[in-house]
Amino acid sequence: MSSSDRFERLREQTSAEHTDSTAPTLLAVVALAISLFVLSPLVWLFLRAGEIAVPRAIELLTSQTTVEVTLNTLVLVVGVTTASVVVGVPLAILTAQTDLPFRRFWTITSALPLVVPSYIGAFAFVSAFGPRGALAGLLAPLGVEQLPTVYGLHGAVLVLTLFTYPYVFLTTRAALLSFDGTVVEAARSLNHTRWEAFKRVTLPQIAPGIAAGALLVALYTLSDFGTPAIMQYDVFTRMIYNEFGARRLDYASVLSMLLLVMALGILAVESRLNAGRDGAYVSRGSRQPGQIRLGRWKVPALAFCAGIASLCLVLPIAILLRWLVRSGTGYVGGGFAFEFAYAWNSVGLAAAAAAISVLAALPVAYLSARSDTGLASLPERATYVGYAVPGVVLGLALVYLGLAYVPFLYQSVVLLVFAYVVRFLPQAVGTTESSILQVDPSYIEAARSLGYDPISAFRQVVLPLVAPGLAAGAALVFLTTMKELPATLMLRPTGFETFVTYIWLVQGAGYYGQAAVPALILVGVSGLSMLVILRREGSS
Amino acid sequence: MTDDDTLSDGTRSRRRFLQFGGATAAAALAGCSGLSLGGDGDTGPVSLSDFRGSGPLVAQRPDPGGTSIEDLPALEGELTLYLGGGEGGLYLDLIELLERRYPDFTTNHRLEASSDLANTIIEEVDAGQSPADVFMAVDAGSLGAVANAGATAALPEEALSAVPEEFQDEQGRWVGIAGRARAIPYNTNELSASDVPASVQDFPETGAFQDSLGWAPTYSAFQSFVTAMRLIRGDEETRAWLQAMLDAGISEYPDEFRVSNAVADGELVAGFANHYYSQRVKSARQDAPLDLAFTEGDAGALVNVSGLEILQGTQNSELAANFVRHILSAEAQEFFATRTFAYPMIPGVQPVGGLPTIDELDPPDIDLTELADVAGTVDLLREAGVL
Repeated sequence: MSSSDRFERLREQTSAEHTDSTAPTLLAVVALAISLFVLSPLVWLFLRAGEIAVPRAIELLTSQTTVEVTLNTLVLVVGVTTASVVVGVPLAILTAQTDLPFRRFWTITSALPLVVPSYIGAFAFVSAFGPRGALAGLLAPLGVEQLPTVYGLHGAVLVLTLFTYPYVFLTTRAALLSFDGTVVEAARSLNHTRWEAFKRVTLPQIAPGIAAGALLVALYTLSDFGTPAIMQYDVFTRMIYNEFGARRLDYASVLSMLLLVMALGILAVESRLNAGRDGAYVSRGSRQPGQIRLGRWKVPALAFCAGIASLCLVLPIAILLRWLVRSGTGYVGGGFAFEFAYAWNSVGLAAAAAAISVLAALPVAYLSARSDTGLASLPERATYVGYAVPGVVLGLALVYLGLAYVPFLYQSVVLLVFAYVVRFLPQAVGTTESSILQVDPSYIEAARSLGYDPISAFRQVVLPLVAPGLAAGAALVFLTTMKELPATLMLRPTGFETFVTYIWLVQGAGYYGQAAVPALILVGVSGLSMLVILRREGSS
Repeated sequence: MTDDDTLSDGTRSRRRFLQFGGATAAAALAGCSGLSLGGDGDTGPVSLSDFRGSGPLVAQRPDPGGTSIEDLPALEGELTLYLGGGEGGLYLDLIELLERRYPDFTTNHRLEASSDLANTIIEEVDAGQSPADVFMAVDAGSLGAVANAGATAALPEEALSAVPEEFQDEQGRWVGIAGRARAIPYNTNELSASDVPASVQDFPETGAFQDSLGWAPTYSAFQSFVTAMRLIRGDEETRAWLQAMLDAGISEYPDEFRVSNAVADGELVAGFANHYYSQRVKSARQDAPLDLAFTEGDAGALVNVSGLEILQGTQNSELAANFVRHILSAEAQEFFATRTFAYPMIPGVQPVGGLPTIDELDPPDIDLTELADVAGTVDLLREAGVL
């Protein structure tokens, strides 16, 4: 039975009160506790920042460098977010609502770039488009002397967009698949042009979906270290890292606080855009709109999809294969021999992070989905802050707090998994919440009236219905954990290497050839988890 | 043994336990296997040829002088090492050789950038003590930072006496194990050695270098070089020099291996890099038009060291001391010379690859421990607009 039928029937019922009568207080307490727990590492920032004298803090905050880097960071975030919407939304519409040939294939290729770590993407782009790179080598015989430089703002925007737009693609696509297409047909029958119908009817409905994806992109951009560093563009994360390297924790913590303020700003903007978001997630019916026929736009549409896939997937994989073939970089680093244990370490950590994130996400998402007050969604909003904390800052905070307060957990897998949960929980919260919103509360009431206690009612009725959303959240956490680098470097147990720490070490030492195989495996394994996310949509 | 030590020993076993309980059984197994790189069960006799690299240059070499590992006590027990820097891969090769030779000797290692590990150790010692027994870093600045934080324990006298005084801490808190000379890799199609000025101070005005030099200002060895310039010439002059280099259109790279490759590719005429990167480029691409020039008596001729120190609070001080002596043995120094192209630290072992010997270099007269003032250098680099 398709879920659409189920919702169709539910829609006919008059839904009762939204709130569940008994559990909310307990639920609120649990959700609040979880959000406080994941925010706890930030205490470290306040401790460090509290050690700074006020004049010094003001001097640091108003220094020319700070102002410049703030502007740089804002420009980058706005640029990447805008570009991601420009790329992600058309791809979502093409794959969800048109007669594009091989739609299933293009859906997968459009989502897959999310599995490529952006620092590997950045290396691939530098390697391909940099001075004396692969492309320059190909073009040299044709008399092309110099390529425009790939370094700087435009390079950073390009690379970050290409590897983060799938967030927008996935959330927009989900919104498109769940809204009632008959409204568009109604608009069309009122003589609106296709564009007007899109602007007036479709866009307002999918805007919350777009905003949700854009939020993830903006927060990711804010916290990313590798890509701006490789593209030689000065942003907060790069400065913070340098300050930590120089052991000037006061400036580093001031910068980190400023970064958090920017994250809160992004959350506030998103929150306003998102005011009516509940509507976007709730399936209004099964009436899919008549597919848009592309007609003569078919070829440009295909070219667009193929172009993006080439840049995001074909190019990095080709560069990795080239490293593999052309690996002669001096002596062989035997000490860097790859071990399959690293793969198991990565998979084990990612699985643990995914499982715990889903468990923690449930109460937070449930509270936010089932309550109408802004206060109740506070824990949900709070979890997003962790996503914006750069791994470097989180890693140092946990090193410090771990040593000071829980020394027996220092350099343990437990603390490392906690770091992943802090960073990636919002991804699970997002998907979980959207699937909870699709479950009619009257189901629970029916179960309650049959004598189930709230917990059993939840387990018997809600859980099976939201399982696909939980799986998607788990998959998202799994694959972002597989890619995470800075916190992994700082917090892993001594002697415990993973895919990314290994890739980082060998590429840092210049052994690109040795980085190629694990990078390809990493992309492959993460790709499998992406299939879980897409399967959730069924055979759409 | 103090109470602190007992406590932290318990801490460590607990941590190991948590590793088991933490993620998955597979993850835990790997976490405890420690170092088994390059194949398990690889034990057996290890000879000089295992330590020595290969190639025509190496084949002609005389046997190294110095204390042989044959004359040192056997290594037994488990040692936790923090290994700084990308060259850690090579250090692991050396450690693996020692593990092969001594079946009862195992290591547990952590590989990160030297400065990151120095910060970690300082945090750890602040909080009680570090889980590491030995810190092995690729620059004296990181060693100095840890030493200045009071986080080191005494080194064995035999190790200190084997190494020239300029390559160890004045108070014997760290000792050099391999030399890393600052050098000017240049493209031999574009320049000859005599075109490279003898002083880095003259670089901004050198016509051939306009818009065609490269550096890696985020790289710690480069920052040590700038720190050395500050020690020799003061902040004002260093700032002016950095500014002049920017005005001369210098290009930025993420690390010095890439600088050296860019010189070999002809993308740059010359650059700033540690000497061994060029040796590595040449060993990969034998006809690369790449050679090294050295400046004289200034920061550009700085000889920095990889070195190690024993960390305060270690439970394994005897093993750690014996390990240090092994790293300064004739065989291990031959390893550094022939496999990492570094300058060996004991007089009985010669450098390879047509390098001037260490006494032919003209390094500036500074105390390497003072290279720990990285913060001041980062400030200066930022003020000058380099970072």
